[in-house]
Amino acid sequence: MCLGIPMKVLEVDGFNARCEAKGIEREVSLFMLQDEPVEPGDHVMVHVGYALQKMTEEEARSAWEMYDLMLAAADA
Amino acid sequence: MAEEARLWLERIRALPLRRRVRLMNVCGGHERSITMAGLRAALPRDVELIPGPGCPVCICPEEDVYEAIQVALHEDVTLVAFGDMLRVPVNVPRGEARSLEQAKAAGADIRPIASPQEAAAIASSNPGRRVVFFAAGFETTMAPVASLLVQGAPENLLMLLSGRLTWPAVAMLLDSGTPGFDGLIAPGHVATVMGPEEWQFVVDRHGLPAAIAGFTPASLLAAMYSTLRQLLDGRRFLDNCYPEVVRPGGNPTARRHLAEAMEVVDAAWRGIGVIPASGYALRPALAARDARRVFPSYADASRKRAGEMPPGCDCAKVVLGRIYPNECRLYGKACTPRTPVGPCMVSDEGACRIWWSGGVRDNPAA
Ligand code: SF4
Repeated sequence: MCLGIPMKVLEVDGFNARCEAKGIEREVSLFMLQDEPVEPGDHVMVHVGYALQKMTEEEARSAWEMYDLMLAAADA
Repeated sequence: MAEEARLWLERIRALPLRRRVRLMNVCGGHERSITMAGLRAALPRDVELIPGPGCPVCICPEEDVYEAIQVALHEDVTLVAFGDMLRVPVNVPRGEARSLEQAKAAGADIRPIASPQEAAAIASSNPGRRVVFFAAGFETTMAPVASLLVQGAPENLLMLLSGRLTWPAVAMLLDSGTPGFDGLIAPGHVATVMGPEEWQFVVDRHGLPAAIAGFTPASLLAAMYSTLRQLLDGRRFLDNCYPEVVRPGGNPTARRHLAEAMEVVDAAWRGIGVIPASGYALRPALAARDARRVFPSYADASRKRAGEMPPGCDCAKVVLGRIYPNECRLYGKACTPRTPVGPCMVSDEGACRIWWSGGVRDNPAA
């Protein structure tokens, strides 16, 4: 549950955003990112449904690679 | 990324280490990356990576889980909790519900959730019921919980809070005189929320090197390199190897929400005891939402092994980095993810569970 997941912002509606990671879409709260403008196309680190911080696309990609590795091992 | 990780590994291998060095991580996410990427086997023999207090589910007080079970047994209550919490065992006589999962099987309305917003949604769609959110977690989870409360949640949503701060557990280990490690890999997402400054004490007060790491092998290896290099050079500083999201001061909004909704209190860690200023409690202004005030106390001094780990389970020692998971006699024997004995095998962030998923099958203790 402590796993942060990088997601790409698709749409922003007030404090809520529609985000996507690996083809899965989720509603994410931007309520904790009020000091920074978030726009579609941005990447955010998401934890339990809340964006903790903005991040670069490159960093998001390398984190996803890591998760692929974990998912592959998770059911071992 | 793989290329970057390989470069860091080469740099570490080139270091003239002359003695054994123990590096502790304090984050289940770090331990997962280390284990799944096979970093232990890739590092020089003299570098030991010790999983420390990085699992909030593992140290959630046994009494709190017991209380959650009792609260959930009320007719008009729906209890929601992060999925991991449902299988955490408490010490009760045969015949009583040993976990939230068993209470659920016996008819209690208990639902796993993945986000605080789900708790609010369940409360909204069940206005006639009291929805109790049993929330365990570290700063990364408590900040979203605080945000939810600050933003405004349905009146029938109550909180049973078991939030903990990570750094005080490390401070306790360091103050004990036998910390068991020579350098610290500090948790990247905790620092994202709270700011890197929280970890400065490791360097200033205890003279140990520390580096904040992200969750990719490259970031973790960079942090390991930094701490090893500091040890060799006789320099000490707090390095930030996750600057993409860890900024000075952390996330100011998140910290504001935490301060508004919660206060920091002395708090018990399962199997370990009370650690000063290591827990979150709801502020008095939120008393009407506080399940600890709304429901009677279920603390029962006569309940056998209240507060302790299950019999035979060495989770407390695993959490403190005193032993490796497979040094517990039950590891892989009586205790596997299918039949977990202790919380460290239940939780996705528990070191026992992570090591088992990572393929560690030997048990030198059995
Ligand atoms: S292997 Fe099981 S019983 Fe042993 S410490 Fe880990 S969780 Fe506890």
